[in-house]
Amino acid sequence: MGSKKETMAAIQELQVQDIINTGLANSKEEAQKVWKKKKASKFWKHIWNHRGFYLMFLPVAIFVIILYYWPMLGIRFAFFDYKPVGDPKWVGLANFQKMFSTRAFWISFGNTLFLSILKLLLTTATSVLVAVFLNEMRLLWAKKTLQTLIYLPHFMSWAVVAAIFSLMLSPSATGMINGILKDLNIIDPDGSGIYFLANKAWWRPIFFLINIWKETGWGTVIFLATLSGINPELYEAADIDGASRLQKIWYVTVPALSQTIIIVLILNLAKVMNMFESVFVLYNSAVFDVSDVISTYIYRQTFTNALPNYGYSTAVGLFKSLVGGGLVILCNWASKKIRGRGIL
Amino acid sequence: MKKRLVAILLAVATTMSLVACNGGTPSSEVVSGQTGSETTKEYDLTSIKMVVDGTLTANLDNRQDAFVEQWQEAIKEKTGKDVALNINQLDHSGYVDAVGRLFAGGDYPDVMIMPASMFAQYANTGLLWDMTEAYDNAEFQSRIEKPEINESLKRDGKLYGFSPAYGNGCVTYVKKAWLDKVGMNASDIKTYDDYYKMLLAFTNEDPDGNGKNDTYGTDAAGFLKADEAPYINYLPEFWQDAYPAIYQNDQGQWVDGFQEEATKKALERLQKAYKDGVIDPAALTDSTKTAREKFFSNDQAGSSGSFAYWAGTWYQTLTDNLIKNEVDSELVMLEPIKEVGSYINREAPVWVIIDDGDGDNSREQAIFDTFIDTMLDGGKIQVLWTYGAEDVHWSTKAESFVLNAGTDKEKSYEYKDGEFHLKQSPNDENTLWKKNAMDPALVISPLVGDYAGFTNTSELAAQGNIFFVQHCKDAHPSPVSDVLTENNGTIIDAKNAVISKVVVEGGDIDAALADYKAAVGSIIDQALEDLNSK
Repeated sequence: MGSKKETMAAIQELQVQDIINTGLANSKEEAQKVWKKKKASKFWKHIWNHRGFYLMFLPVAIFVIILYYWPMLGIRFAFFDYKPVGDPKWVGLANFQKMFSTRAFWISFGNTLFLSILKLLLTTATSVLVAVFLNEMRLLWAKKTLQTLIYLPHFMSWAVVAAIFSLMLSPSATGMINGILKDLNIIDPDGSGIYFLANKAWWRPIFFLINIWKETGWGTVIFLATLSGINPELYEAADIDGASRLQKIWYVTVPALSQTIIIVLILNLAKVMNMFESVFVLYNSAVFDVSDVISTYIYRQTFTNALPNYGYSTAVGLFKSLVGGGLVILCNWASKKIRGRGIL
Repeated sequence: MKKRLVAILLAVATTMSLVACNGGTPSSEVVSGQTGSETTKEYDLTSIKMVVDGTLTANLDNRQDAFVEQWQEAIKEKTGKDVALNINQLDHSGYVDAVGRLFAGGDYPDVMIMPASMFAQYANTGLLWDMTEAYDNAEFQSRIEKPEINESLKRDGKLYGFSPAYGNGCVTYVKKAWLDKVGMNASDIKTYDDYYKMLLAFTNEDPDGNGKNDTYGTDAAGFLKADEAPYINYLPEFWQDAYPAIYQNDQGQWVDGFQEEATKKALERLQKAYKDGVIDPAALTDSTKTAREKFFSNDQAGSSGSFAYWAGTWYQTLTDNLIKNEVDSELVMLEPIKEVGSYINREAPVWVIIDDGDGDNSREQAIFDTFIDTMLDGGKIQVLWTYGAEDVHWSTKAESFVLNAGTDKEKSYEYKDGEFHLKQSPNDENTLWKKNAMDPALVISPLVGDYAGFTNTSELAAQGNIFFVQHCKDAHPSPVSDVLTENNGTIIDAKNAVISKVVVEGGDIDAALADYKAAVGSIIDQALEDLNSK
């Protein structure tokens, strides 16, 4: 079987031959010119025939160009020393040299990948588990109530979530979790509590737990939709075969979800470099080594300096974008391999 | 391949819209919000765009509209011109960040307030208008009583920022009821050992009387305010003679105080205090607001007995809140312990005018004349900046009102016609209004004429100011260095890392300081070389 390019060439050849046969041209060269003219005319005719649709698309195109592509001109500042004061000065690759030789940058890069990917795996896994559990619930009112309850945290802003958990996890006398641990004699009742959000060993587990609490409910939506589409005959057949409830989950439900799980993972993998808000509201200087991500690093370099160099921030942002772009391509490739079509 | 290219472009576009959406308005393109053509003779000023932090207490919740309206009327009366005052009041605790975001968006005000450390970085950049001549010729010159305040702000003989008041600073407040409960007197706290014993007593002897071991000796928003000069004023007893920043020593040499022995000793004290539980363990992550509210919260579990905070008006405010929350009726200002010697008078925040860079000073001069010169007119406009709007924040009309009516803290006020007095706060009828942007006790030029008798009736605020003036010394001036400016964020991170490792994690001080040196030592050395070569 020939490639798409070869097929198109063959079609073109046939159309050129047809032009000669119908007497519109005397030679092959002349026929090819006529074919090109017809093709161009067909293109504009298509536009004209569908002008309503194209007119409707125009505002969207303008919106995208202005809001997404116009700002991209700012990329040039990655090669400038650009402060709020004075004209930008060309510095070549100096900002990149500084970036690659800065320890804090590499820490933030590593943290971005680690926190994002593990968070993705954990929230996906818990979402699947909860979705399967909800699917097995027979009491409809209980199922609906539980669904509503676990969806709610998703709609809370990260600032509110951070305030709630900071109070609960506070090491001072008012911290609820430390109070319980002291009451249960798990930690020294007379000692200071665990500083969960300022302790390098605790920060990441707490971060993942908060993310699971906040996002698991919402994550179940897509899996519940898939589960509702499973053919009931499969369960009936399993019943006839004498399968237990757990066996039905393992041999019917989970395989049915596998394709969706992979799609969710692939689609979210492309977004791993964008982590910001959840970290920003929960981290502090004591845990930068385990919590600082590229976006928070950019934020600090830009906005905690009275006179920041936007050029450096842009260079870090550009690097982040290139890695993000690479991940999009990777996910597109993975998507093609697994489900036969890409995500782009 | 096309799809891959599209993928890359999409990803880049999405992310870059976050980090590089500035269209690129360098300072040379900064334009003013005024309309009308600029001439070298007279500029037709029609509006002033002002950016300010929380020091303007007549905020949106406290009838800022009345302040603006009366300011505009007073300016019209004084200059005969209609000038609209447009205030953009930014979050106080995140002011530097917020200003950075404004500038990143190319949104430059006409006039703004800058904290000292921010001013040090901007002073020589060309963004700020050189107001030396305007200042020297200002109408208020004949009334200025403390010319040294603005003289000290000059860089190479040029004045880029104006301060109408001196800086103020923090003093240590102690709850009197807690002192009584643990059987101590503030007058007996003379040394660090005395102070530490007091903190231990507050921590271990249940001073709030709830039967639980849930109180602390002291609290602060962070152990070191690495991004805000003078850095150490929220825990002065622990930092003592240390100054963990670049400063000029007695020999005139610029040195890094963070690497000095005094800082090491301070870190040892903080480490021990944290381990002993006398500092609220959440201090590292507490914001200023959180630490303040814990201090006067009606639930004293988790509160502390001493708290270093701003002198003057805040003495009144903290006391009012303690009374309102039925915690205590008296706060004691602790005299500086022997090892501290004096509290620190910070470098004053300054008002700056943004230079549009067109080489014509008429616009900037007009802003100076209208905004800054009138600020200390000794009359109506100075009263507006000092106390707020007439009949909203203060009045001279006969009236009577009651604070905390129906409680045992009830207090009545009665004033005769013509008697200057502050009114109830617009946003809290149980609190007396205290001041607006300028503290009457700190201002460098007095009210005169009919307004000379307008004095702050808050006794505590006045006492606080007198106490502070008697017990303060000036802070080290902030260094001006491109190297420091370029690497400020990295240096702050490195300092915070040391504090966390030593105080919270109880790590080795020498190792933590070695890490600091490894991380930013070369930057610091370069900055010191730069500063000492000038």
